Parts: sequence; structure tokens; C-alpha cells
Amino acid sequence: MAKFSTIIAAVAVGSTVALSACSSAGTTPSTSAAGAGGVLPATTIKILAPSYADSSQADWQKIITEFKKTQPNVKVELQIAAWDNFTDTVKARIQAKDYPDILNDNAFISEATAGLLYPITDVMSDTTLKAIEPALMKNGVGTDGKQWAAPDIASARMLAYNTDLFAKAGITAAPKTWADVEADAAKLAAQGVAGYGLPLGTEEAQVESSLWLWGAGGDWPVSGKLVANQPTAVKAFAEMKKLIDAKATQPDPGATNRQAVADLFNNGKLGMYVTHSGLMGVTRTKFPNIKFDLAPIPSQDGTPVAFGVTDFILAFNNNDANRKAATKQFLDLMYSDAQYEGWYKGTGLLPVTTSQIAKAKASDTNNAKFYEVLSYVKFNPVSNPQWDALKNALQGTAGTIAKDTPENVLAKIQAQVDAQS
Amino acid sequence: MANTAATAPAASGPTPVPGRATKARTTSRRGETLAALPWLAPTLLLIAGVVIYPTILMFWTAFRKYNSYGIESGPAGLGNFIGPAGAFTFPTVPWAAIWTNTVVWVVVVVILTLVTSLGLAQFLNREFRGRKLLRMIIILPWASSVVMTTTVFNYGLQRDVGLFNRMLVDTGILQTARGFTKDPTSAFWVAVFVAIYVSIPFTTYTILAGLQGVPRDILEAAHMDGASAGQRYWQIVFPLLRPAIAAAALINIINVFNSLPILKILDETPGFNTGHTTTTLIFAYKAVLGPGVASALSIVNFAFCLVVIAAYLAIVKPANEVQ
Repeated sequence: MAKFSTIIAAVAVGSTVALSACSSAGTTPSTSAAGAGGVLPATTIKILAPSYADSSQADWQKIITEFKKTQPNVKVELQIAAWDNFTDTVKARIQAKDYPDILNDNAFISEATAGLLYPITDVMSDTTLKAIEPALMKNGVGTDGKQWAAPDIASARMLAYNTDLFAKAGITAAPKTWADVEADAAKLAAQGVAGYGLPLGTEEAQVESSLWLWGAGGDWPVSGKLVANQPTAVKAFAEMKKLIDAKATQPDPGATNRQAVADLFNNGKLGMYVTHSGLMGVTRTKFPNIKFDLAPIPSQDGTPVAFGVTDFILAFNNNDANRKAATKQFLDLMYSDAQYEGWYKGTGLLPVTTSQIAKAKASDTNNAKFYEVLSYVKFNPVSNPQWDALKNALQGTAGTIAKDTPENVLAKIQAQVDAQS
Repeated sequence: MANTAATAPAASGPTPVPGRATKARTTSRRGETLAALPWLAPTLLLIAGVVIYPTILMFWTAFRKYNSYGIESGPAGLGNFIGPAGAFTFPTVPWAAIWTNTVVWVVVVVILTLVTSLGLAQFLNREFRGRKLLRMIIILPWASSVVMTTTVFNYGLQRDVGLFNRMLVDTGILQTARGFTKDPTSAFWVAVFVAIYVSIPFTTYTILAGLQGVPRDILEAAHMDGASAGQRYWQIVFPLLRPAIAAAALINIINVFNSLPILKILDETPGFNTGHTTTTLIFAYKAVLGPGVASALSIVNFAFCLVVIAAYLAIVKPANEVQ
């Protein structure tokens, strides 16, 4: 009985929502958007964003409150979802055809290829577009040359190492080459802790694989196509396998996500791992006993490697001039120095506007090393339509390297990518 | 569903005789059906909404082309089944292991659940102090959500912080802690254990209800006539329990075959590993290849389920027994 009444209630609520949605769509004034400076007619824009930190909801809300001061008629619906299953949340909204006007995500090419987006240049003023660091802006360009997304946050990955554990194991400097990593990890393992944190689970396998591939001097795109079974990738995977076989990593690398590795590090059970500024912020404040330092990521020949990520703002085309105009005003406000500074700081990551980067370089000493490596970070090929397939294949298969040969693992990954193209 | 509802009254009624009388009876029966409709309507609507509509949608989706974001792009023909990225032809999926797992999963879980529950129900049917309390405790796993129960097992089995792992090491059963959920094979067997654990309460109670229906006087008479305890159980109690066991087995087969959360939570290895059943594979496909391919596989799952039920009905004829 209880269940049945719940269903009825749910149906009732559902239909009310549907009805009100219809009526609001029906009564939308057909007069198109007011001028850029004027007060917009009543409309609703929807924002979908991941939770970077506990403050994410409040950080967005601050911008929304400010926005409502100039645009009292525009309703802003904000949905914050956890990073773990964020892609699923986005997929669910797309499949329900409930497109958010503003989406904050780490990928854009699937939506762009399907024709669901406005080019971001349509919904940002020239001033805003120029405020974003051009080197990062490039990351949001599709293979068709259009600017489909704008970066809103950047992060760099570097090697964090526990200086106490290093001293105990008799290691004096951060590893620079793969040979150094092997030797140091073995020394750490002899001390009873894990040497190198290798998260090849679903969350981060694509990051870790790319880092080792770049360390071997290779890259995924080979003459425009993404190739997994290339000789440099074999070298990279063989090196990961070497560490696993030597028991110099944490146990079960194929089923470990980044957070589990960070937990080990924060509890003094891991010597080194690849990390970002957000995670190190947590270590600094919540685990003050852990003494650590940061270094560039080692490579085969010692050339420093660093991994760059930008997350993006995407704007979905909802075929509504008022929503588009409101979106544009909202985004211009969001990237303004006054609003953007507080918002990006809440994420614990690095800013993307030139003015904020300059300001942070001068003042943010904790993350100084991350800003240094920003000049040579490499990005995953997120604008390549094949990347989605390669990423999924890496996430599902890279971890099998513990029990298989590099050639076999990469052949499997290639087969999965080929089957989808 | 709709079939049994339509055929049941016809089968139970007398054989229709051709002629006028039949016609009159048909119209009066139609009148009865119409009169019953307002009371049946909520159920019919519910069945249409949660059974029939999703089934139609599943077939429709299986023949449309989608990307992994679920964005549709036209008809797919049989591409979702046997295309290059089809459900049965996608490379690197360990099919032999998955079919074996699916059969082992259903057979082992259902049989062990039934055997354990038969013993447990027999025990709970005796008079002893604290019987009520014990009955309440046994119902607990049923009262809590499967996802919650499974998550507790998952935490307990973690290598570094898991209490079960710690207990196994402290008692000397294991030398060092083991990542049970990090390896597809051990995760699968842990999942079998958890599935049995959560299936026992329902099964035990169904059989216990059956045991209450076994007449005491017959048992006493058999005892007087010198039947041993074993004879009394196998020749009187067990045959009388057949309908209860049949109902419990059928419901368990369907439940266990369709069970997603237990394996999905306990098998932490990503990708197309050797710990999948066809049910969890549907969801792995949904994430990587999109809803089209996932629906293609669920059609086969759906058919498999129908075959199991049909075979079961044909062999055990539980409907006759229950009447």
C-alpha cells in the first residue's frame, strides 16, 4: 500500500512538473531577447556542474545571486553532481532531452559532433573570450576548427613524493628517469611501504597511460588518428608492468582509483604518486604530518613531463533566444575578475584567465610549482572524436597489464577503438 | 503477463458449446469484464507503464544507432547485435567466462539458498525459547536494502581498512590481507555468498509457511506406525512442501538472474573482465557503447528469462500444485 501511494504521488508530482514545464514553454513571450544591456524577459536557464569541493554549490550560488541583481526575471536552476558518475548524469540529461544551458564538464566533442551545442563564441562576448589564456583556449577547439567549448579551470599533474619516507629509504633527490623510479620504488618497497602509486582503475587509467606514453617520447595521435598499438606505447606499458612485477606499486593497480592512492599517500603508506593541486591542498590541511615535495614527472630519458587538464564550459542549443541571451550574460559575468576569482579558488585548481593566472603566480606559493609546469604541460587529445572510444578502452583494459603482455593489452585496446570507428 | 490473465478464465470455465447459449454467455461475460474494469484499471495501467512500455522501448532502442552519450543517429539494423561494435561481436569480451558465470551464478545461488533455507525453516519450525527473536533476526537481511548490505561487505573486504580482512588475518585463516573485490574471480564468489545471504530470508519464510501447513496428526500417525525421522521428512513433509519450494525457486531464479547491484558493487575490476554475468555486461555496454547495444543484449537476457520460466513451468507445473 505504502509503495503504491508513493507511485501515485510520484506520478502526480511528475505530471505537475511536466504540465508546468509545458505552460512555461507555452507562455514564453515570442518577442525575442532584449538588447544586451537591458533587462531580459522571464525565462529559465539551467546549469549542470560537477562538485569540485564541498563549497561548489555555494560558489556557483554566489554568481547566481549576483546575476539575479541585474536580471531579476531570469530563473537559474543549478544542479551539482558528484564527479564519480558525472558522465552518467550528463548522459541521462541528454537522453531525456533536458539539455542544460550551461554544462561544466571535462569533455565536449561528443555533444559537439552531435550538433547539440552553440559554438562557445556565440554565447560569450569578445572581451570574455580574450580574457582566457589562448594556450588553454586552444584545447576547446574541435577538429572542424570551431571553438565549441571554453576552458573554465585548469589543472596540472606532477609527482608528489613523501620526503620523510624518501629520507628513510636513503633517497636524496626526486626521480628524473624511469631507471630512477625503478630504483627508488624498490628502496621504498624494502621499507614496507608502496613505492609508486599506479591507479589503473576506471577513473584515471587514461591519465596514467598517457603520462607513461609521453615519458617514452610518444603521443596518441599518429597522423591525425589515435593509435594505441604503437611501439612507444608498448615501451610505456612494459615499464608500468616492470614496476608491478617488481611489487614496487600498491597492490591491485588495475582496480585502484586516484583517491585510493591519495589515501595511501595521506596515511604515509606510499612513497610517490602523480597528483594535482586540489589533492595536495587536502594533504596540506588535513594531513599536516605528511611532509612532501613536488617534482616534474619522470620520463625514460629524464626530460620532464607534466600533464595538463582543462575542464570546459559548454552551451547547449535549446532553440530559445531568451535563454541564449541569458546564458551569454551569465557567462560574461562568471568570467569577470570579481566573480571568477572566488569561483576558481573554490575548486582548488588553477585559473584560466590571463589576469588571474598572473595574480596567482605572484601570490599562491603553495601551487607555485604547478604554475611553473603549466608552460610545458601536454593535454590528452580531447577534441578528437576517437578520444571517447580510446578513453573508454584504456579505462577498461589498461589495468589488465598486471597479468598480460603489453603487446596483448594494447592490441585489445586498439581492437576496441577500431570497432567503434 | 497479459497472456495468463486472458487464458486463465477460459481454461477454468466449462468448454464452450457452439450455438446461441454461447453467444448469450459471451455477452454477459463481456458485461462482467466491463464492470470489473474500473477496479482492474490501476493494475492494468501499472502493467502497461512498467512492463509493456519499457519492453517496447527496449526493442525500439535495440534497432537504433546511438553513441555512448545516448545521442541517436538513425536506424542500426542488426548493427547493435552483430556489427563491429555489436553486443555479441565487440572485441575483447570474454564470452566463455561470462556464459559460464551466468549459469553458475543462477544455479549455485538458487540451489544453495534453497538447501540452506530448508534446513533453517525446519529449525525455526520447532518450539524453543527465543524463537521469535531468531525469526526476527533472520528477516533482517531482507529488510535492509541490497545495495546497503553489499556495500557493507565491500567495505569489510577492503585490504587496508576492511574488518573482515582483519578478522581473517587475526584468526590466522589468511597470512596477509587480500583484495577480495579487486580480482574478478574472487569478487564473483564473494558476490555468490552475498546473493545467498540476501536470498535466504524470503526463501526461509516461504518454506516456513509451507511447513505450517503440514498436518501434525499425519506426522504423529506415521511416527506410531514406526516411520523413521528420515522417512517422515522425505515421504510426508517434503512432498507437501513442493508448492512452497516451487514458488520460492521460481522467484529466486528470476531475481538472481536479474540481480545487478551485488556483482556491480563487489567486482571492482573495470572493463570487460571475467567476473561479469550477462546482466552486469548490459550495464558495462551502456557506459561504453551506449543504450542501443545494451538493449540488444537485454533482449537476449529477456528471452533467456522467458525460456527459463517456460521450462520451469513445463517441468514442475507449480500452477497445478498451488491450486
